[in-house]
Amino acid sequence: MSTHVRTKEEIAARVKALESILIEKGIMTTAAVDRLAEIYENEVGPQLGAKVAARAWADPDFKQRLLANASKACAELGIGGLQGEDMVVVENTADVHNVIVCTLCSCYPWPVLGLPPNWYKEPAYRSRIVRQPRKVLREDFGYELPDSVEVRVWDSSSEMRYWVLPMRPEGTDGLSEPDLAALITRDSMIGVGPARSPTPARAS
Amino acid sequence: MAGLPGGRDGELAFTAPWELRAFAVAVAAYNNGQYEWSEFQLSLIESIRQWEQSGQDPDREPWSYYEHWLTALETVLAGSGLLSESQLDERTKAVLAIPRDASHQAAHPEPVAVDPAVR
Repeated sequence: MSTHVRTKEEIAARVKALESILIEKGIMTTAAVDRLAEIYENEVGPQLGAKVAARAWADPDFKQRLLANASKACAELGIGGLQGEDMVVVENTADVHNVIVCTLCSCYPWPVLGLPPNWYKEPAYRSRIVRQPRKVLREDFGYELPDSVEVRVWDSSSEMRYWVLPMRPEGTDGLSEPDLAALITRDSMIGVGPARSPTPARAS
Repeated sequence: MAGLPGGRDGELAFTAPWELRAFAVAVAAYNNGQYEWSEFQLSLIESIRQWEQSGQDPDREPWSYYEHWLTALETVLAGSGLLSESQLDERTKAVLAIPRDASHQAAHPEPVAVDPAVR
């Protein structure tokens, strides 16, 4: 392994070089790599998890299935795949708030949330959310939780991939699943923020 | 790169095209059966761990997640004998030696082809 600090140009060249060698060896094709880049840049993302969470809010039986076996329940919506083989959904309530991390690397439930944001992967988040969850939520994410709420931090590792079912906000009775899904943000499914509240109807 | 307009870098999953490419190459190699995901994951954990433990080293590179990803990938592939570091070093040199505008040395101020209209 080279010991000098690489420039970004050198790193980019190294990735190109690696890809070209693997293509020559028949391990992959340019088209296959292009397709994966497309999928993970543009197609897989938190809008998928929001669909699942919205269904859980709207349908109590589905919610129970989701909490019992998240991967199986997500498959009912055609959602699943790489890094979602063993998902576990933890439910936020008035008494318990959950937040997820991968302390050792970046484990994250790709099929429902896409790829993790940079901050999730950084050493600061990974260590501090475990040591001082309330402080990190308040100072880094502007999210204050009352002391009456227990905060549980879940560490994804091995093949388990946790994600959070946020609490359903007030004033959402009767909303359709797509309208509910629009309130469910990526950050709320990581647990660093709440779901959004619906915009109050304007007085005419 | 995916991200909200005006979003901070921290909100993105990728901050440079090579990162997305390195990601996709690793998934493609996995899809081809070159390693179990757990093997790659352990290699990634190890690369990150080494970086974190060198905290007092003034020459330590700044945090760059996808550099660990790339290191993990190279390590796993070298470990299975699929490729060697020297092979990769050589190919990298070759890539760097390609002039940036190898196929665009001269400007072309006029259209290079015209398919005339039929009126």
